[in-house]
Amino acid sequence: MTPDAIPAPGWRLAIRPQAMAQRRGRRLGRGVLGHGVLLALSFVCLFPIYWMVVTSLRPANAIFETTLWPSAASLANYRYTLNAIPVAQMLGNTLVVALLVTAIQLLTALLAAFAFARWRFTGDRLVFALVALTWLVPFQVVMIPNFLLVAQLGLLDSLTALVLPHFASALAVMLLTQAIRAFPQEVIEAAHMDGASSWRLLWQVLVPNLGGSLASLAILIFISTWNEYFWPLLLSRTPENSVIQIGIQMFMSAEGNQWGPLMAASTMASVPILAFYLVLQRQVVQSFMQSGLR
Amino acid sequence: MIRRRRWRQSLTPWLYLLPVAGTFLVWVYEPLAQAVWRSFFEWNMLPDTPMTYVGWGNYQNILALPKLWQALRNTALYMFGLLPFAVVAPLAIAIYTQDLPTRWRNLYRGLIFVPMLIAPVVAASVWRWLLDPGHGVVNRALAAFGLGPVAFLSDPRLAIWSIIGITGWKLIGFATLIASAANARINPSLIEAARMDGASGWAIVRHIRLPLLSSTALLLVTMSILLGAQWTFSYINVLTDGGPLGATTNIYYLLWDFGFSSLSVGWSSASAVLLFIGFALLALGLLWLTERVSLHDA
Repeated sequence: MTPDAIPAPGWRLAIRPQAMAQRRGRRLGRGVLGHGVLLALSFVCLFPIYWMVVTSLRPANAIFETTLWPSAASLANYRYTLNAIPVAQMLGNTLVVALLVTAIQLLTALLAAFAFARWRFTGDRLVFALVALTWLVPFQVVMIPNFLLVAQLGLLDSLTALVLPHFASALAVMLLTQAIRAFPQEVIEAAHMDGASSWRLLWQVLVPNLGGSLASLAILIFISTWNEYFWPLLLSRTPENSVIQIGIQMFMSAEGNQWGPLMAASTMASVPILAFYLVLQRQVVQSFMQSGLR
Repeated sequence: MIRRRRWRQSLTPWLYLLPVAGTFLVWVYEPLAQAVWRSFFEWNMLPDTPMTYVGWGNYQNILALPKLWQALRNTALYMFGLLPFAVVAPLAIAIYTQDLPTRWRNLYRGLIFVPMLIAPVVAASVWRWLLDPGHGVVNRALAAFGLGPVAFLSDPRLAIWSIIGITGWKLIGFATLIASAANARINPSLIEAARMDGASGWAIVRHIRLPLLSSTALLLVTMSILLGAQWTFSYINVLTDGGPLGATTNIYYLLWDFGFSSLSVGWSSASAVLLFIGFALLALGLLWLTERVSLHDA
């Protein structure tokens, strides 16, 4: 602290009551302003999403209205979009890919985290570092070799190829390693003494107690896979074999500024995640914050 | 017998590691090596055309391209342009609103987090509509004040700032959450002690809160660089296609452009190698700074 912040002795007692009243007043003023700041931020964050939904409900002849609610709400845009692109199938594809990736990444991360947390072995630090350092490689750097590999395997324009490079997640490995290391060592040793194999130890002792970490990772992986754009963009050729994010992109380049149907497509792509968020709000926020704070 | 058992024991961890290690080997590290190798060849990705060895030719060619330097300048602009959204505003808002009751805090938390859940493509399509020069609600609002219309996405001087703004929109709520959480973890007795000593509100922020939040600030910087790299690609791809006149192209978009529009694998690989080196240096620098700052905390 700098010297000018330290007051002369006695000063504090002398003006205390006055200072307290002043502080209380200031705190009240700050409270109101604080609400104002956060309200403004909330508005900025939410208005675009609100506008997307409202526009999707405006009939074509009233699409340029600026009222907060359509004068005659209709689902015509949704009908139009459903006819223009195979929305249902693309949503289904997205769901399948996101669920598969979530399940696979949790499984592989669990196995790897268990190895890192349970044993010391030659090269363990190096391998852990190599896992952690994968985030240093932007996807654009490896996209051409990855694309060529998929092409060689004859998997272009297939859902399989959307899942394949996502068999492992560095973040999941690191978070689960932490979680397993934090697990009481005595319990693990006791199970070991009882002659439990490492496999049984993992599935019967550890996994039932990792529910929280696994659930929050699952949320994180599912949402980021659902929203992924770049890798599908490289691979997808036909709407039927693609995910909803590519559907929106195809729709936009084919239909241009058909704002109503475009907002309907965007709304349909977002509703599953937003509905999920409505139900599990606190857990979703928590799991994202965990990934950020570490 | 015993030797065999020991051998099996030392093998076990590797069996558990195999799926993750194999995935990263096949999809990250081998491709990285391949990118280095391919950067010395000329090839257009068609299977039946030959690859020709050109030595450092690709590097010489791309380094002579004004396009590359423009993209690098833009990348730096994106990184710095995001800092107000990712670091400055979130820290300020977090410090300013720390006294709110928990109930309200949770409500705001829930609301400002929502853009983080929206897919980048959806965000791009929604903002394209909001910013439309003719009928977009932003320009309609500006018109009410007698301003505009502003060509947010097709004016070469403005387009990059529009994309930075959209990226910031997706990031600011989440960054504020992280800043608030870190701010709330500061030991209140430190603040109370300073207050008792008569330190002014600003002195407390300046000399206690900000130093204690410096590692969070660095985390937010790192996050904005990582997420910015991922998201800006979708926005550029959907909204501006890198234009007008390359004004919004950053290095990530240029790599894609070299590889999948110009079909020049050599150029794309050479710039990939340069990007990787730059990215790694930047990340190690940030890591080093974080390390130093957290020592300072203790």
